[in-house]
Amino acid sequence: MTHRSVEVPVVARVEGEGALHVRVDDGEITDLRLEIYEPPRFFEAFLEGRHFSEVPDIVPRICGICPVAYQMSAIYGLERLFGVQVPAGTRELRRLLYLGEWIESHVLHVFLLAAPDFLGYDSAIEMAASEPAMVKRALGLKRIGNDLMALIGGREIHPVSPRVGGFSKAPRPADLQAFVPRLEAALDEMGGIADFVAGLPKPSFPRPAEMVAMVHPDEYAINEGTLLSTTGRAFDAETFERVSREEHVEHSNALHSVMADTGTPYFVGPLARINLNAGRLTATARECAERAGLSLPETDPFFSMAARVAETALAIEESIALIRSYRSPDPPMVDPRPRAGRATWTTEAPRGTLYHRYDVDDEGRIVMAKIVPPTSQNLRHMEADLRAFVPSVLDRPDEELTRLCEMVVRNYDPCISCATHFLTLDIERH
Amino acid sequence: MRLAAPRLAALPGVDIVEVGAPINAAHLFADVDAAIVVDAVRTPDGRREPGELVRLELGDERLPTNVGSSLSSHGFGVGEAIALAAALGDLPPVVVLGIEAGGTTEGTGMSPPVGAALDALADLIATEAERLSSP
Repeated sequence: MTHRSVEVPVVARVEGEGALHVRVDDGEITDLRLEIYEPPRFFEAFLEGRHFSEVPDIVPRICGICPVAYQMSAIYGLERLFGVQVPAGTRELRRLLYLGEWIESHVLHVFLLAAPDFLGYDSAIEMAASEPAMVKRALGLKRIGNDLMALIGGREIHPVSPRVGGFSKAPRPADLQAFVPRLEAALDEMGGIADFVAGLPKPSFPRPAEMVAMVHPDEYAINEGTLLSTTGRAFDAETFERVSREEHVEHSNALHSVMADTGTPYFVGPLARINLNAGRLTATARECAERAGLSLPETDPFFSMAARVAETALAIEESIALIRSYRSPDPPMVDPRPRAGRATWTTEAPRGTLYHRYDVDDEGRIVMAKIVPPTSQNLRHMEADLRAFVPSVLDRPDEELTRLCEMVVRNYDPCISCATHFLTLDIERH
Repeated sequence: MRLAAPRLAALPGVDIVEVGAPINAAHLFADVDAAIVVDAVRTPDGRREPGELVRLELGDERLPTNVGSSLSSHGFGVGEAIALAAALGDLPPVVVLGIEAGGTTEGTGMSPPVGAALDALADLIATEAERLSSP
């Protein structure tokens, strides 16, 4: 099976800034609107007419930090529609690839995006100048995730090997085994990292919330499973669009996800996952969760960072086990025969549940695509958090208020959060 | 990069790495003796024409502010990645080669002025690589 490289000469519209509009009348918030995210609508249109085999090359370009998540949601959905039986070992290799992405993404967030806020630095760069040893260690840890993805994915940064049907090429056991010493050393560091996160000064903001994540009987859900919410809603990818509804919000480009029956917001991501998958944590992950200060059930969004640390430990610990039992899938892939119909699937991207739907014709061409990223689903809840949080800090100067608002949003690790100062705060006080 | 590839292939120890999000490049600087960063750039206030080539040499100095940061929604851009490596003391000699973008709205394909400048950019990339490779 030859792999054809697809050049996607596209520059998707990007927003490097977000806006938060707040209006205060006599000390009461009368209007609050958050505009920070542009969902990948262009990619949905761009996929139309494409052959299914091209989808794994196109969708990862939606996100430079979580390409694997996009590939897996697409691949699993299409394989289910076509009735593909992948070779033995594929499932494990896909989980390993995804865990590499979790490591890379979570470490990036904890150390380069969130930590500067909590430590009072203006940016990761300023923090690096003051605390180079810590940042170097973080980059080294992040790098294990990147290197694992490069080995399995076939290329630095952008995976090329994931295919509908398996992998175009699978790594040799010896090449994976070479990672074990690095992973073991990293696992040893996780306790210290949990302590570091526990020690960061943070606001206290426990609040009732509906959280949604995938669950699975045997494992911490990533690629396979059904969906569950903390209020007891049970659904799956096939019923996703009936349970979760996207609402167009006036005066905003963004669509907000809410529960269809109640119109209320929910959120996805590591905090949701750890609440709903607590029984599936690995030993070190459980220990890290405790040391980081998490006591489940946990509803305080400022503990999202702790959840990411626990998930990083899980990812490292599971990677070691997966590598130890790894056998190269042979052949690495099968040749899928397309069928017409609707493909749906969800997987757990680092930032939360990612939903894909593809309507496919009998030649295997995409007729329509719909992608609901985790950040899209979290938007309404981010706004709700701000509405609940801002009154308690309204008396602070605008600069500090902006920083606090950014921290509230950044708990969700949205795709925008890399921007150091991404919020333009427009506050009208009357 | 495809246009420059034949000349680059003739140089020992030269790797081409496509980086999706610049934060992922931060660790790459520590590994190498020299780096050429090639990217689309957008000069504020339209001082540059689309297709115009930009060359910035960085020793161990801070990234000049006239190389703007990211055109990516992941706001950690090329400038930040280089600055991060510099803050850690991991920055080798870096040359940034940019091509002024025609526009960054949604759409396929590059604008004609940019397309026309590709040969010149490839030539510049190869020339820089040859210079950095020579003892």
